[in-house]
Amino acid sequence: MVLFGDNCSNLNSFSIMSYKILSVWLCFSLCSIAFAQNSFQIKGFVRNANTLQPIEGANIVGEGLFSISSVAGAFTIKNVDEGTYSFTISHISYAPKTVTVIVESEIEIVQVYLNESSTVLEEVEVHGKSKYRKVKETPIVSHTVSKEFLDKNRENSLMQTLSKIPGVSTINIGSGQSKPVIRGLGFNRVAVIQNGIKHEAQQWGNDHGLEIDQYGIENIQIIKGPASLVYGSDAIAGVVDIQPNKIPLQNSFNGEVNILGESNNNLLGISTSIEARKEKWFYRGRLTYRDYGDYKVPTDKINYENYIFELQDNNLRNTAGKEANASFSVGYVSDYIKSETFFSTVNAKNGFFANAHGLEVRTSSIDYDRSNKDIDLPFHKVNHFKIMNNTSVIMGKHTFYFDLGYQKNHRKEHSEPVPHGYMPKPPNSKEREFNKNTYSLNMRDAFKPNKHHDVVAGINVEYQDNNIGGWGFLIPEYNRFTIGVFAYDQFEIHPNLHFLAGIRYDYGLVDTKSYYDWFLSTTNNNDGSKSYIYLQRAQNKTLDFGNISASAGLSYIQKNTTYKLNIGKSFRMPLANELASDGVNYHMYRFEKGNLDLDPEESYQLDIDIDHTTKQFSVGISPFVNFFENYIYLNPTSNYYETLQIYEYTQAKIFRFGGEVRASTTLFKNLQLDASAEYVYSKQTSGAKKNFTLPFSPPLSGLFSANYQFKDFLFLAKPKLIADFRITAAQNEIVPPEEKTEGYQILNMSFLTKMAIFKNNQPIEIRVKLNNVFNTKYYNHTSFYRLIDVPEAGRNLSISLTIPLINN
Amino acid sequence: MIVIASCSNDDSIDKDEEKPTISVNYNEGFPQGCTQLTRGETYNFRAKVTDNKVLASYSIDIHHNFDHHTHDDQTTECDLEDVKQAINPFIFIENYSIENELTSYEINIPVTIPNDIDTGDYHCAYSVTDETGWQARTSIDVKIIE
Repeated sequence: MVLFGDNCSNLNSFSIMSYKILSVWLCFSLCSIAFAQNSFQIKGFVRNANTLQPIEGANIVGEGLFSISSVAGAFTIKNVDEGTYSFTISHISYAPKTVTVIVESEIEIVQVYLNESSTVLEEVEVHGKSKYRKVKETPIVSHTVSKEFLDKNRENSLMQTLSKIPGVSTINIGSGQSKPVIRGLGFNRVAVIQNGIKHEAQQWGNDHGLEIDQYGIENIQIIKGPASLVYGSDAIAGVVDIQPNKIPLQNSFNGEVNILGESNNNLLGISTSIEARKEKWFYRGRLTYRDYGDYKVPTDKINYENYIFELQDNNLRNTAGKEANASFSVGYVSDYIKSETFFSTVNAKNGFFANAHGLEVRTSSIDYDRSNKDIDLPFHKVNHFKIMNNTSVIMGKHTFYFDLGYQKNHRKEHSEPVPHGYMPKPPNSKEREFNKNTYSLNMRDAFKPNKHHDVVAGINVEYQDNNIGGWGFLIPEYNRFTIGVFAYDQFEIHPNLHFLAGIRYDYGLVDTKSYYDWFLSTTNNNDGSKSYIYLQRAQNKTLDFGNISASAGLSYIQKNTTYKLNIGKSFRMPLANELASDGVNYHMYRFEKGNLDLDPEESYQLDIDIDHTTKQFSVGISPFVNFFENYIYLNPTSNYYETLQIYEYTQAKIFRFGGEVRASTTLFKNLQLDASAEYVYSKQTSGAKKNFTLPFSPPLSGLFSANYQFKDFLFLAKPKLIADFRITAAQNEIVPPEEKTEGYQILNMSFLTKMAIFKNNQPIEIRVKLNNVFNTKYYNHTSFYRLIDVPEAGRNLSISLTIPLINN
Repeated sequence: MIVIASCSNDDSIDKDEEKPTISVNYNEGFPQGCTQLTRGETYNFRAKVTDNKVLASYSIDIHHNFDHHTHDDQTTECDLEDVKQAINPFIFIENYSIENELTSYEINIPVTIPNDIDTGDYHCAYSVTDETGWQARTSIDVKIIE
């Protein structure tokens, strides 16, 4: 245990907050350690008042005193003078208690019993700025996702798990892959950040899913609006910011294994982790393996246009997949420096529905039905490798943050070689290959000149090198360099009134490489003769872009109500495929044509968030209005290129509005009810599809949850039953080539409990989840397979066990 | 929600949400499923297309199906020959526009089957677009014989 000098006391206000680690860290960092001469000791134990179990990680804070309770609930405060001390013992799950100790003898032993409570937050407000308070103060409208939420709601992929949050939905590609959609916008309009570094893959692709291991994530911040100011291009519609995990406690060594089984696609998943810390050095590692078969849909045939695909045993043939991930990090934390270096590799192989990939109907001699576990053509394989370093250095009133990243995304799409148009039968199955290297450097300085200002200034630099291979051409090779500088200030006008304003400038350079077909095409000359040539699909071009982003907002806290208002302008640089595509997308049965004259997309958004939270209930509403000056849209034209419909990248003005409402209350102490609804209205107000909506527009949807907490029963601790009922309206707003989608109602049930098998050990966490209880056949308007009339997965029973391995 | 309702009403202003249609299922429609085409002959490929607003363009794509990579969407099932390698397959890839803002039209394109191409299973795909960008497709299994 460490003793702090007096100058630590003014920081104690920070420490009461729920985040024990951060508080340790802050105190380490900001306080000089002093050693007193008279060595009295205060020793004590913190226990749960009901169960008498020791409480680990409670903060013990008094004037110049600070300690944290160990696994055994013990704490020690050394080197105290004789006298009377008063300190507060607090923990995230318990109501805080203040005790007074008179120190006379060498060792004082104090017993503290804390009562469980879910509302320590008020206490926190009194003492100072918890994370919760900070979120309230910042005018940026965001949603924080905790580890608890992730554990409770874990689905097959990270984004499916997050889609329970109002305003967040996903584009699913089968059962194992998904990509984020925020308020109806996705692909490259949502930036996914991991440990401060933007995740860079082939996000533009229809059948691409996010390559991030969903296990081991503790904290995600979701911003549902333009956030280019801090995150740069691509954060035009929102951000999924996966934040670094908490640093392990001193002298701790923890590990756990999670085992997951699912009935619908015969999934078996196992993920195991360890983390340890001595004093200053820490490390953590995780291994994840998942293997799943074809998923089942509640239908025995798929009707797509005039085709009928019979399904064997409701299996959506060839949608099996597997995933193997590993990550390791090593870090150092001292008074003024914190640094962690993170290595990760994510490997996945996923099959695509055999009868139709995209819109393309296929027959094959492959016997897909011989097994529902194997992965035949067409499939893709992806590896995403990352090295990231996050370092922060505290120097007086400044904190400098450095994020350094290298990532390599290697993706291969294989399909049966088939001649198409003038293209003869290709020599192998490698249709497309993408090899993208991204180097990132972010630096920022958080500066607190006085009590009223929090100034942050920073720079982001990124370089991408994208290489292609395979016999299919869709996007050219390119290099891209971007640099952005930004600064913002959060000004405390009044403790309850905060103003934030910031500005950013970005410059980007895209260098596309030329590409010629590997086969000859027939072209008609003006004189009636024919030529046979290798068609040029992309040109050598260098394009540059510059853009200003800005944001301003107010936050006002009035007792239990928080009002936020934010207005922002964001931008997105056109992508290489938007600029320079010129090829057949066989899967989508279309010819995609880029446009070198595209301007950066610019978006203006007004966000409002009103939240009222009391002990008994909470309500909130977060409406938005959004306007795109020049949304880049892949427009289906009425023209053909070699018998394929031409889709052309164009720009259109877009008007959007919508928002989310949420309410929750606790009845009879044990029953918690939550309700939320989300809605987005989008309209193109100029261009070829004037008055039409945008592709993949999510329909109006509501989610009602009931959460009943039972009493402990035999060896089951905190058993909890959750029912989630989702009602989604029809989506009748469509744009070619979409189909209207009917509404649906789905019930999911889950049962969570903890099982304390071994005494003195952390309990085993058990979750049993039944998705789509009634095996309802329904269509998700934003699913990739919706295009070919494939319904969503049928009933699925999943069982998850989280077993603590070691706990010291 | 009141705002939402009032706003979504004004937006049903004459938005074309209908796909065109395409069919060879009438007496003169050509080719019908499993039709045999003889090398050296000229055939008139005929299909009826309609749209609620304005027809825009259509295409005809005749390509081999020697590898059985796809099948048609007609009700008939044709007997396919054994899988084989293409040497000099017939490829017919043409696009046409439909002028004069028509809502119904008959495609009628004479196609001569060359003498030197591979015989065997072929596939004939029609597609049509309307002015809005909606598309309809149909495809028919045919055979080219000596």
